[in-house]
Amino acid sequence: MKKNTFYLLIGCIALILLAILYYSVEVYRPPFIEITFVVAIAIIYLARQRVEDLIEDERSIKITEQAVVRTFQVFWVVFAAFSIGAVMELLHVPSFQRPFHPERPPEILPLKFMGYIQLGLLCLMIFLYVGFRIYYARKYGEWETDEE
Amino acid sequence: MKNKIKVYRAMHDLTQEDLANKIGVTRQTILAIEKGRYIPSLDLAFRIARHFGVNVEEIFTYTEEPGHTHD
Repeated sequence: MKKNTFYLLIGCIALILLAILYYSVEVYRPPFIEITFVVAIAIIYLARQRVEDLIEDERSIKITEQAVVRTFQVFWVVFAAFSIGAVMELLHVPSFQRPFHPERPPEILPLKFMGYIQLGLLCLMIFLYVGFRIYYARKYGEWETDEE
Repeated sequence: MKNKIKVYRAMHDLTQEDLANKIGVTRQTILAIEKGRYIPSLDLAFRIARHFGVNVEEIFTYTEEPGHTHD
């Protein structure tokens, strides 16, 4: 399989996924999109192994590795910091002020919104990865040109 | 790390693309090594040297760079 055919296949899969997501929302059946997503990723991985003119050498592997490591380093700190706040809300830590108030203090942020924010942070991870990937690709001369 | 890949390519009349294809890497990798943007692994360094039929020290010279980080 040629590289361009592979990219075309990814485009088609993305479109099919969008259509299934739409259908899944319409009929209110989340497993449709969940199962399809896993199958789509499996197809992409299998197809990628059949691409003949896609060279992956040690430099490109290093770029990917560095980007992944940095993404996780930044992500886990942000995610953990936010989650600690969520846990505090969940555990209902009492105030140390006197007199002691056993009733729950007003919520700073409702728990369900914290879940949404955590989902948002997970999506942010994609942007972090792309950013770091661009940074390391530039660092290791991905877009450098020569006199040749 | 300094290298003489460009010199050896010229001696063997090879383009970056030719060398990359023979070594099994991308042209960008050869370019990045030549410009000192990427330090190749020992395996790749030996493959390049072997391709030109010389010792690895003939092509690659280690120079201490102050403040150099490996990431």
